[in-house]
Amino acid sequence: MKKNNIIFLVVVLFTMILSSCVNDLNVTPINPQQTQTFNQDEVFAKVYASYALTGQQGPAGISDIAGLDEGRFSIYRCLWNCNELASDEALCSWNDAEVVELNFNNWSSQSTITNGLYARFYFTVTICNHFMEQTVGMTDEKTLKQRAEVRFLRATAYYYLMDFFGNVPFTEVVSLTPPKQIKRADLFVYVEKELKACAATMYEPKTAPYYRLDKAAAWLLLSRLYLNAEVYTTVPASTGVTAVAGTPRWTEAALYADSVIHTSGYTLCPVFKQLFMGDNAGTIDGSQVNKAPDEIIFPIAADGIKTQAWGTSLFLIASTHATGMKPWGTTEQWAGNRARATLIKKFFVPNATGSGVNGFFSDGADLTTALTSSIKDARALFDKKSVSVNLNISTPTLFPQGFQVTKFTNIRADGGATHDPKYVDMDIPFMRAGEAYLTYAEAVTRLSSAQVGSYTALQAVNALRTRAGATQFTTLTLPNIIDEWSREFFFEGRRRMDLIRFKMYGGDTGYTWDWKANVAAGKNFPADYNIFPIPAGDLNANSNLIQNNGY
Amino acid sequence: MLFVFGITANAQQISVSGVVKDATNGEPILGANILVKGTQNGTITNLNGEFSFSSVASNATLVIKYIGYQPIEIPIEGRKSLVIQMKEDAVTLNEVVAIGYGVVKKSDATGSLTAIKPDKLNKGMTTSAQDLLVGKVSGVVVTSGGGTPGGGATIRIRGGSSLNASNDPLIVIDGLAMDNDGIKGVANPLSTINPNDIESFTVLKDASATAIYGSRASNGVIIITTKKGDKNSKFQVTYDGSFSASSVKRKLDVMTGNQFKAYVDSVWSTKNPLITSADTLSANKIRGYLGNANTDWYNHIFQTALSHDHNLSFTGGIKNLPYRASLGYTNQDGIIKTSNFERLMGAIILNPSFFDDHLKININAKGMLVRNRFADGGALGSAAGMDPTQPVTSTDPMFASYGGYWQWRPVTGNTLATANPVGLLNQKQDISNAQDFIGSADADYKFHFLPELRAHLGVGMESSYGIQTLQEDSMALADYPFGRTGYSNQSKSNKSLNFYMQYVKDLGKHSINIMGGYEWQHFYRQEYYVYQGLDKTVYNTDLGQNVGYNYQAPPMFKTESYLVSFFGRLNYNFADKYLATVTLRDDGSSRFSPENRWGLFPSAALAWKVTEEDFMKDNSTISDLKIRLGYGVTGQQNLSGTLISNPDYAYIPVYSANISGAFYPFDSVYNATSRPDAYNKKLKWEETRTTNAGLDLGLWNNKLTASLDYYYRETVDLINVVSVPAGTNFKNVVVSNIGTLQNNGLELTINARPITTKDFSWEMSFNASYNRNIITKLTTGIGDGYYVSTGGTFQGTTQVFTVGQPAYSFWVLKQKYDSKGRPIEAGAYKDPNNQSLGKYTNLDAFVDMNGDSIIGDKDKYYFHNANPDVTLGFSSRINYKNFDFGFNLRASIGNYMYNAVQSGNLNVSKDGVWSSLGNFNNLMTSSLVGNFQGTSALTFTSDYFVQNASFLKCDNITLGYSFKKLFKVISSGRISIAVQNPFVITAYKGLDPEVYGGIDGNIYPRPLVTVLGLSLSF
Repeated sequence: MKKNNIIFLVVVLFTMILSSCVNDLNVTPINPQQTQTFNQDEVFAKVYASYALTGQQGPAGISDIAGLDEGRFSIYRCLWNCNELASDEALCSWNDAEVVELNFNNWSSQSTITNGLYARFYFTVTICNHFMEQTVGMTDEKTLKQRAEVRFLRATAYYYLMDFFGNVPFTEVVSLTPPKQIKRADLFVYVEKELKACAATMYEPKTAPYYRLDKAAAWLLLSRLYLNAEVYTTVPASTGVTAVAGTPRWTEAALYADSVIHTSGYTLCPVFKQLFMGDNAGTIDGSQVNKAPDEIIFPIAADGIKTQAWGTSLFLIASTHATGMKPWGTTEQWAGNRARATLIKKFFVPNATGSGVNGFFSDGADLTTALTSSIKDARALFDKKSVSVNLNISTPTLFPQGFQVTKFTNIRADGGATHDPKYVDMDIPFMRAGEAYLTYAEAVTRLSSAQVGSYTALQAVNALRTRAGATQFTTLTLPNIIDEWSREFFFEGRRRMDLIRFKMYGGDTGYTWDWKANVAAGKNFPADYNIFPIPAGDLNANSNLIQNNGY
Repeated sequence: MLFVFGITANAQQISVSGVVKDATNGEPILGANILVKGTQNGTITNLNGEFSFSSVASNATLVIKYIGYQPIEIPIEGRKSLVIQMKEDAVTLNEVVAIGYGVVKKSDATGSLTAIKPDKLNKGMTTSAQDLLVGKVSGVVVTSGGGTPGGGATIRIRGGSSLNASNDPLIVIDGLAMDNDGIKGVANPLSTINPNDIESFTVLKDASATAIYGSRASNGVIIITTKKGDKNSKFQVTYDGSFSASSVKRKLDVMTGNQFKAYVDSVWSTKNPLITSADTLSANKIRGYLGNANTDWYNHIFQTALSHDHNLSFTGGIKNLPYRASLGYTNQDGIIKTSNFERLMGAIILNPSFFDDHLKININAKGMLVRNRFADGGALGSAAGMDPTQPVTSTDPMFASYGGYWQWRPVTGNTLATANPVGLLNQKQDISNAQDFIGSADADYKFHFLPELRAHLGVGMESSYGIQTLQEDSMALADYPFGRTGYSNQSKSNKSLNFYMQYVKDLGKHSINIMGGYEWQHFYRQEYYVYQGLDKTVYNTDLGQNVGYNYQAPPMFKTESYLVSFFGRLNYNFADKYLATVTLRDDGSSRFSPENRWGLFPSAALAWKVTEEDFMKDNSTISDLKIRLGYGVTGQQNLSGTLISNPDYAYIPVYSANISGAFYPFDSVYNATSRPDAYNKKLKWEETRTTNAGLDLGLWNNKLTASLDYYYRETVDLINVVSVPAGTNFKNVVVSNIGTLQNNGLELTINARPITTKDFSWEMSFNASYNRNIITKLTTGIGDGYYVSTGGTFQGTTQVFTVGQPAYSFWVLKQKYDSKGRPIEAGAYKDPNNQSLGKYTNLDAFVDMNGDSIIGDKDKYYFHNANPDVTLGFSSRINYKNFDFGFNLRASIGNYMYNAVQSGNLNVSKDGVWSSLGNFNNLMTSSLVGNFQGTSALTFTSDYFVQNASFLKCDNITLGYSFKKLFKVISSGRISIAVQNPFVITAYKGLDPEVYGGIDGNIYPRPLVTVLGLSLSF
């Protein structure tokens, strides 16, 4: 009996086991943090967020890219470092490898900075491609608007990739096939076509919810694209390649800039420094005082609690501040970025000893008001930490050396409290209408004409100077304009591009700045450095790619 | 039973006496357990090894047992006086050893396997089972993660067959295949078992032995069998305990306060040519930040740590119910203050049998409670970098809100400065509490009508829960001024079920053994955390309530995977001379897409017992000779360690939701975001094909035994994280099958007992392994010089996989040196005293390998690798009368290390000691040799930092004294003193040459430990 029981039991178990089946292997994720369905609105928000955040947790965590410190290699911080540290505006005091390389114009295909910049922009490109693939054929009004904005954000990413790296891998699909390399001039044509297509469908200017983009953004980027058209379509001579002269597109640059100035409804924010303050989303931030949204076309959002990141406005504010300066609205102080002497000299003429600027400076003084009216300029948002501070930087790693930049703060224009003592609320005015005025002025001047639209070049520049309380220009030359770019936009993440256009960057330019190429007086570096190297990692992974000259 | 009883009842009753001796040295054995078979009639030998029974059936059989000796059965056969010799219970050739789903006589094994018993005498401080394996088995390298109490170790069998996928061997405890992921405070599956409960380890090395475990067996299998009770044996209690003191052996050679002060005064002196006159004021101000103290920060974070460990075991057998129960308690302090490990373990094993032993049941339960307080890992780095001229605490009111600890933040405002290490330790309570339960039950039934046929059913489960709680003062620098509190928890629950049938039949000279079965395993894991600040509350719109500052609580993380397997084995034995084994396993894993889900893993092995041949019968020198040949295929499907967030779903496209702080606004609405995650639907398992040829040799009646194995192993479809072409996936790196790796190796094990006399005996064992691997194919990229970067330093790729080179080869720039032999640094002045000479360029500093006048990736070359070419282990034990003396030595030859501690502290310039953010950084005096000024990022990829890390290490030295009969209750015992980690001989410049992976960060130092041990049998 017992024997039979056992045999019976064994047989039953055996059958049961074998049928407890192989079907278990067909799992679907049980993780509540992950889903398998495409959520259109949430992926759409992620595309925007890719310009502001570095992962799915703020200020860092669940990173979008691997192998690099998230906050240190955000999209904005990478592009800012490349365009500012490697130019005549900013010099950072830190010993971080990527900082040292950019400060002194000595980067390589191994540099983490180029790797980070590239990986970030391609992350954006890839999720844009995914969104476009998932929504293809959808024609409802909401989707059409979203698709236009996603295309714009993808075109912006490709614009920057073209600007930084020249010939880059190009794809509009998410596929395991390694993308082919596109020529810089061909990518120019693509970005141009995309921006025009987006501009047709995006929100009418100033009708989109704040933080979403409208036609004016496409117009502004088109004007920037045309302004640099000659650079982007130039092919320098190299082994086996014949040089091709670039084609300038000044007229289109002027026309699109004019559209921003006169058609978009965006105007200059009356008080310059409000553009860079904690409540610069205006009424969205509950501020009745701050009028920055009048001008900001593309804000990159930050919020002390809900949108936290190390690599956007917190980086701008903290890296430019340290104890001894006027309050800047966050407990973070990283004592890194300050002005090269060349930048200060765009505003002021130093006295013969170079030890001060016309004697106007005292510790902690607000330079914008302490100056005599003749050279007063509301954009000169500088400070110096102590008596001993000289505008010339003798030791790049000493933060108290050089003049501090007080442009970016988390102080509110209305004096109210910000959301958090550490993480900041200030949005980055990534694209603002002010740019259109200078683009217009430059393009028109380059055409050797007075005006293309309804406005003279002089009027355009003076609109900015008037807002700043600076004296009016009576004549306008290209040297005036490149300096005006610096006065209006210093530390806003674009300087390298302007210098390249004015042939004042790489190569035998006759223009140097302090510590250019690791020499205190400055010296030239090769013209090949006008574009960055394709990162060694991608060159290795994608055999379709050919490295840029000189790397 | 009735039958047996019948005979006993009819036999004549006689009185019997005798003596029990050690077969080797003739020493009497006291306390041996003697039982008349089939009765409760038993006794114990006295001080002289003697025993007697007044009335025993003349045809009865005596069963003699003594711990550490092989049990023996002696039929009385009417004799009245007996001399019984017992053999010591080393793993001998006739002993059975555990193999997958069964056991085999060691002499009949066809694969490469090593069975060892833990060395009870010579073991040092063993808090984890992994400590017992260190240096003991050829081809097995155990690298502890450092000196963290309760910390884990990396175990590599034959160098590991994988690159980035887990190289951990499969651990099978009492038939239950464990998953390799630890939980809070439980480092790995070996930590779940009390080392004192381990009966034996069997390490399966070649694929013919491991293929029966299929997709999880590529990196070898360690089968652990725990001690069991014996049928009808007497109740016995043993105690094993130890007390130990640990202290730090070596510290980084950071400057003292006085040295540092002098150094800062010199580099920030206005006489330093690198300080311009413009910097005079700054230099004076910076020097003014120097304090007056002379603080050795290490002294304030290290301690002499005391630990104690106690184990009690109870064994016996009540009729058909043998049992063993054990209880272990460990309390171990770390040498970094505040770190502590406390553990309570209990285990019960019952193995009753029924129906004349036709049905054997084995029930096994192990439980563990662990409490671990972690010292802040940042304290080590902080102690090295903190300004030694500052005091630990200060009464200056500016430090009051920091708990009185001296910090840079209130001094210079620097929020990122090196934190006071003492504050880091004392102002943080980071404690994990974990529970682990492992239960298994096996039923083995021998069919009544067909005794050659057995059915085996096994069920098992592991359930663990761990919670780590954090409490950080609001005065703590790390989260000043709000502090931080919260917890994270994990739980896992793994279930398994296996069923197999076995048929064994002898037909004349032929003997066959067929086994076939099925296994089902389910692995489940979940994790959750909540963290928030202490002091400030903010309104959380998602929760609709006030929560702590910087509140973080994502939804719970959950994941699971399944493994379903069918397997079979055929053993064939002809005339006990020729042996053949064939195995086959078919595994299905839920970790791969249906197209790649199933994998077939075959193996075959042959063995020839030469000594069984007639022509060898009379050979008195060679007592044992066996030749083995095997081939097998195994797999690897463990993706942990590959950076991907969830290895269970790596092939499924998923979207990750955002959590706190990562919303994006449109107008005033903060939107949730959803991110497509990288995935690889083509992912499949690695496959490893191993050919093994081996020889087992025994000489002079096995006084010397040796094994020699050669293997050739090829792993295809290696799983690795690889950079993917930009634009092709949702992340810059994706886990992929990347290529092929070959391993070639030779292993030698020798065990010898050169002296075995009554009073003096000497045993030693030696093992040597040679392993060389090479990557033969990479499939994710093409072109000359294609590489997959790995383990690089933060500043650039320094370690790669590339075709034609060993795995983990260093890939670095070739450093140039000046006339004085100092490394040249790009960007530094050629002569600071004569700056008109200019600065060194990249080309001055590094060899331009491709001659293009640009220093870049193409100038890097392959320079050694992190794996040793040869590893050696040697242990020796001498017994003289009651004393025993033993030691274990271990050597690793040809392994190189990237000294990241040195490269991370290379900058000795004025900017290296003073950060512009506002703090001093202490320096190592050895960094002055390199004299780097921090002027070039390329320096980090210099071969200057790749250093030979070959070493000879003594793991422990032990001296013991055994005694018998103490007081009335103690039948025997031993006291011992051991020194663990007494010395290391190496040319390596860092603190410790033994760091897994070849990149030496700042590890928790391995302490020097003195252990006092006590073992007692009652």
